[in-house]
Amino acid sequence: MSTVKDRVPASVAVRPAGYSVLRAGHARFLVHRRAVAVASVLLVLLAASCVAYLCVGEAFVSPAEVVKVLLGRSSPDELVVEELRLPRLVVGLLVGLAFGVAGALIQTVARNPLASPDVIGISQGASALTVASMTLGITSYSVLPYLSVAGGLLAAALVYLFAWRGGLHATRFVLIGIGFAIALRSITTLFMTKGDYLVAQQAQIWMTGSLNGRGWPEAEVLAPILLVLVPALAWAARAQRTVSLDDDTATALGVRLGRVRLGLVALGVVLAAVATGAAGPVDFVALLAPQIARRMTRTAQIPLLSSALTGAVIVVLADLLARRLFSPTELPVGVLTAAVGAPYLIWLIIRSRSVGGTS
Amino acid sequence: MSRLSTQALTLAYEDRTVVEELDLAVPDGEVTVIVGPNACGKSTTLRALGRLLKPKSGSVLLDGAELAKLPTKRIAQQIGLLPQTPVAPEAITVADLVSRGRQPHQHWWQQWSDEDERAVSEAMARTDVADLAERSVDELSGGQRQRVWIAMALAQETELLLLDEPTTYLDISHQVEVLDLVRQLNHDKGRTVVVVLHDLNQAARYADHLVAMKAGRVVAAGPPSEVVTASLVREVFGLDCVIVPDPVTGSPLVVPGAPWKAA
Repeated sequence: MSTVKDRVPASVAVRPAGYSVLRAGHARFLVHRRAVAVASVLLVLLAASCVAYLCVGEAFVSPAEVVKVLLGRSSPDELVVEELRLPRLVVGLLVGLAFGVAGALIQTVARNPLASPDVIGISQGASALTVASMTLGITSYSVLPYLSVAGGLLAAALVYLFAWRGGLHATRFVLIGIGFAIALRSITTLFMTKGDYLVAQQAQIWMTGSLNGRGWPEAEVLAPILLVLVPALAWAARAQRTVSLDDDTATALGVRLGRVRLGLVALGVVLAAVATGAAGPVDFVALLAPQIARRMTRTAQIPLLSSALTGAVIVVLADLLARRLFSPTELPVGVLTAAVGAPYLIWLIIRSRSVGGTS
Repeated sequence: MSRLSTQALTLAYEDRTVVEELDLAVPDGEVTVIVGPNACGKSTTLRALGRLLKPKSGSVLLDGAELAKLPTKRIAQQIGLLPQTPVAPEAITVADLVSRGRQPHQHWWQQWSDEDERAVSEAMARTDVADLAERSVDELSGGQRQRVWIAMALAQETELLLLDEPTTYLDISHQVEVLDLVRQLNHDKGRTVVVVLHDLNQAARYADHLVAMKAGRVVAAGPPSEVVTASLVREVFGLDCVIVPDPVTGSPLVVPGAPWKAA
């Protein structure tokens, strides 16, 4: 911890232990020291994972050559690294960041670690519309991602609408979301059994969440959206401080709870929908990343930056394994994230004080 | 004078009217206690005073302006409120929770000032939770936790403070501790405090201004010595009793009758 403190000379220790105040001109920001340290470590870990991802494959490329290519120097491995592995890595990285933050935001509003876009129907909405479109003959990859985003947003809007009764009740929100997820999944199944065999297979792979064949076109959609949303995340991080309290206390502190929650959910849904559009619903990343991150930072609210980085590390490493584990056969990345995530979900349910609880 | 008052205030949950045509003035610089039997609308009234519940008709006025039309952050700079069962995020530390009471005085570019630092330290010292600053709220006893929540409301540094049954779930010594703290705050800082209590004796002992409610209406309001009479207790609570002076404070003390003994 002291190392972080040393790097921030303008900071002073303040009353809420563990926080420091960063001064920039007249502005002052409250930062959680441990969260900063965790995010720094995660950043290093992510960089290492990315290099490893670019090294490993059909042909092994040494880390030195990988770094050379990344720095724009000429290298005999340029083609493999830059043309084959890098685009897919970038998509995986962005998808991981997006899912990590989306999960953190939705879990914050739902006040429930079980809430995440793949549990409350957002991924299922994306799947339903995408698969329906596929079986109806729309198979162009220039259209499908947008349909997936639309499906996710639509499902989220429905869940929000049905959970609203003069206010948003966190538990109702999660339970209605789960109901919608089940309904939407059966709609998806219906379309798959109705559809052509080949289309069904294509849909099946998409639904598991796969980075196979993804590259610059997907990255070009994802990157600008994420970039635009960064300032909104600064707002969200601050809003979390009060939204994580109970409704009455937050309102008494002058928070416009209805609007703030809608803003947080909308932000999370857009991120999840866009990520799903690019890679399909990569299950459990949004559920896992925020919980792992919070356990590391030990903050009272879910840390957004660490959740994003954890999500990216999970997806990059999972896809690395997915590519190589049963080589030459490739697994969809979603199979691996589900293999890790499902047991974790069960463990969460077993140890939670109460599933419907407010904390 | 009263900064906070209600005018023909009617409150309802969906179709069920809980409070009807209520006119209430909260005297400045005094401790007002609202009492009444279960479901008489006392907590509902307090929630409306703190804009947690929107009036069905009528209005709550803060400095003459309708509360419902004021920006909620501006209200939070004037009125602090501690709900009946506040819930803390898991594993939050005491100081972190108390510091969130500063929210209405902060902006996203001004997240912590020397003023915040002072207010939080002072609130924790006053409620005697400074030693617990780095403990997790989860591990505290009920009495300690309640003091932490009060510290958070104090850190908000509002002229008006509303407390919804702050003694529920506490044993008698902690109940007294919390109420002593309320009196002290009012005495030292001249804060206006409104407390909902269900114990009539505590209400009579700690209030400057007592409001007795029944079935959504105010039955009597005034100094406890005038309000608490045997006939009022029978009317409001349906209880036969004798009123004697509290041997310590001189305030009225309700001693229930013993019908099982008379026969």
